[in-house]
Amino acid sequence: MTPGEMLIGGIGLLVAAAALFWPDRGLLARIRAAKLRTDQVRVEDALKHLYDQESKGLTCTLDSIARELGFPSKDDTSLVARLETIGLLTRQGNVFRLTPEGRSYALRIIRVHRLWERYLADETTVSESDWHIEAEKQEHLITAEEAAALDRRLGHPAYDPHGDPIPSDSGELPEVAWKTLTSLKEGEAAGIVHIEDEPPAHYAQLVAQGFYPGLQVRMIEQTSERITVEANGNEIALAPVLAANLSVVPLPAGEQKAGSFRTLASLRPGERGVVSGISPACRGLQRRRLMDLGVVPGGVIESEMNSVTGDPVAYSIRGATIALRRQQAEMVFIEEIEGRE
Amino acid sequence: MSQNVQAKAESIITRARGLRWQVGEAFHDRAIEALYEEATHIAGRSVTISGERPRFNFDRTLDRLLTSRWTGFPIMVLLLAAVFWITIELANIPSKMIAGLLLDTVHPALKEFGTWIQMPSWLSGLLFDGMYLAAAWVISVMLPPMAIFFPMFTLLEDFGYLPRVAFNLDFLFRKAGAHGKQALTMVMGYGCNAAGVVAARIIDSPRERLIAIITNNFSICNGRWPTQILIATIFIGALAPPQLAGVVSALAVVSVVLIGVFFMFMVSWGLSRTVLRGEGSTFSLELPPYRPPRILQTLYTSVIDRTLIVLWRAVVWAVPAGALIWLVSNIHIGGRSIAEIVVGGLDPVGMLIGLNGVILLAYIIAIPANEIVIPTVLMLTVLVAKMTGVGGGSGVMFELDSAEATASVLQAGGWTVLTGVNLMLFSLLHNPCSTTIYTIYKETGSAKWTTVATLLPVVLGLVVCFLVAQVWRMVG
Repeated sequence: MTPGEMLIGGIGLLVAAAALFWPDRGLLARIRAAKLRTDQVRVEDALKHLYDQESKGLTCTLDSIARELGFPSKDDTSLVARLETIGLLTRQGNVFRLTPEGRSYALRIIRVHRLWERYLADETTVSESDWHIEAEKQEHLITAEEAAALDRRLGHPAYDPHGDPIPSDSGELPEVAWKTLTSLKEGEAAGIVHIEDEPPAHYAQLVAQGFYPGLQVRMIEQTSERITVEANGNEIALAPVLAANLSVVPLPAGEQKAGSFRTLASLRPGERGVVSGISPACRGLQRRRLMDLGVVPGGVIESEMNSVTGDPVAYSIRGATIALRRQQAEMVFIEEIEGRE
Repeated sequence: MSQNVQAKAESIITRARGLRWQVGEAFHDRAIEALYEEATHIAGRSVTISGERPRFNFDRTLDRLLTSRWTGFPIMVLLLAAVFWITIELANIPSKMIAGLLLDTVHPALKEFGTWIQMPSWLSGLLFDGMYLAAAWVISVMLPPMAIFFPMFTLLEDFGYLPRVAFNLDFLFRKAGAHGKQALTMVMGYGCNAAGVVAARIIDSPRERLIAIITNNFSICNGRWPTQILIATIFIGALAPPQLAGVVSALAVVSVVLIGVFFMFMVSWGLSRTVLRGEGSTFSLELPPYRPPRILQTLYTSVIDRTLIVLWRAVVWAVPAGALIWLVSNIHIGGRSIAEIVVGGLDPVGMLIGLNGVILLAYIIAIPANEIVIPTVLMLTVLVAKMTGVGGGSGVMFELDSAEATASVLQAGGWTVLTGVNLMLFSLLHNPCSTTIYTIYKETGSAKWTTVATLLPVVLGLVVCFLVAQVWRMVG
């Protein structure tokens, strides 16, 4: 072999190994993913779909199941027949209903799904658009004991990061009094409580526009083509079809955030401000860290100095000098800014 | 009665279940806020603050100087260069003294003692030429630089300067998905990778800490500096005209260091986007006020905590390695020693990646300590090439007094400039020593990450050496 051939051979080998072992896209990963799509997954997805439709007050037909699960309806017929024989659903003509057992099975899957999303949001840096996708896989894999352990570890969270309530282990869910964003009148303020995570493209679009549960918005204008709201001091315009995916709860008059929405990142060295809150988009580890350092509402923070490149910036927080990155400082809202005395 | 209690308990649980949905998400936050409020209230009542902090203005001025756009980096480079220079200059003297004592005086004395009590020659070989020599070598090369480097480093830390370095360099590490404090663990790694891995404790975010641990090996530790300097002098410096030889070989070593920094950033970047994608991550960096360093305490803690513990681990690992080195050179199968057989088997692979069988075998059996790689390479070269009149016999590691003498042995062993270049690269990119591997396992508590940290650099090293060799042969 000449050196040239060896070089080409070596590179070829590397490419082949990458094609085989690459995470998520390699051949092995694909084969594994295909194996996961077993019967159990189809059963559980069907139950979830039924539950979802029922909770929206819609009826479920063979067609809607087939659309949701994306496989030929011949398979569906046998799937649905099996679900009926094991007593998870009942059939009246063309309409399907969950039995209490079926509903409790569906709630268990939903619980794991939402717990897992909460876990991803709080304890990891998995990106927001991947939460739902990852949870769709994990909901079929996690056992009841593992779910209970996860629930304990996360401190028994009540809501998932999209604002959906997490069913308790006994399958309880609260009544929610949500309205859609589109129902707000001009000038009315509300807090976003839920962002629908399906379809993923719409969800990604909303996240990219800066929406998150806990964000406070004020309706500015509503027309048939466009809805404009004010949030964090910015005006955001969005299409009505997207706005319908946002659920809100009107704010009591006292809780409305007044004045300017400035963030810590806007302080220049020597300026100080009073913390008015930490953005709800800052969750889990990140949020705990900031609060442990003493970044809590009412605290006074002074910008001390910039690093050589201007990011991170050192702040004086409760007598200690702490450097924070810009991305963190943008999560901290402040008011009452003043220069150095 | 008990029914009554039970009913009451049930009603409490039901009420709690109902309330659970109402307290909402922010209730943890409210609890923390209340704690702070209470603490502030108590502090306001019972703590009195008299005047400004006296050193406040001094701190501010110093901080402006050390973090300003124009003076921040030059001061940093000067200080770190000074630390390295002092270490290299000062460590030579005690290193030579310890080597003179342990290798040239105690070792022959032990051999004589063995002969005097009529110890069988294999036993005296195994004990004194194998185990003792390896341990002595590790101590004489490792102890002085560490005993100088770590206290100086700790003094800078104690004074409060090092957090400012992390503050200034964070922008680079942020882009690689790492933490600014990794700059410090990295510099610590130039002293000793095991110490650098332990130092990663200062990074409190899980993902960034793992990155710092896994990439620490890309800082060449003090066991590898002598290899780099020796090989650069022999093979690269010799290419330049004599008056420039020193500068050229120094530049070669610096390039290897920079290649290491390059790989550190690339691997950090890669890890944070592949296998470590999704691990939890936060950032915060405290910049403590400056204070006069506590010199005696610093000396004590850095010598005891950092130097001696690491040295002890290294010696514990070096002893069995010494025994192994002696055994493979002295056990014969079918008239050839195991070392010769293995070297013969490894030679084709070694040649393919621009090294040779001797180097590969030396890196396998000298996993416990990078310090003994060159002595082992020399011993094996002499053994395999059947040279006479050099070294102390099979299984006895040695070093030569001058670079010229070393060069003639290596050239007789068939080394070319390519071998030299690739040895420098492989010395940078190979598995961490066993002390470091063990430390990584202790720090991460995970066999998975230990395996990644061990195999990743050696695979990189093999690929890089292979590519360099192929390109070299095509061009040359």
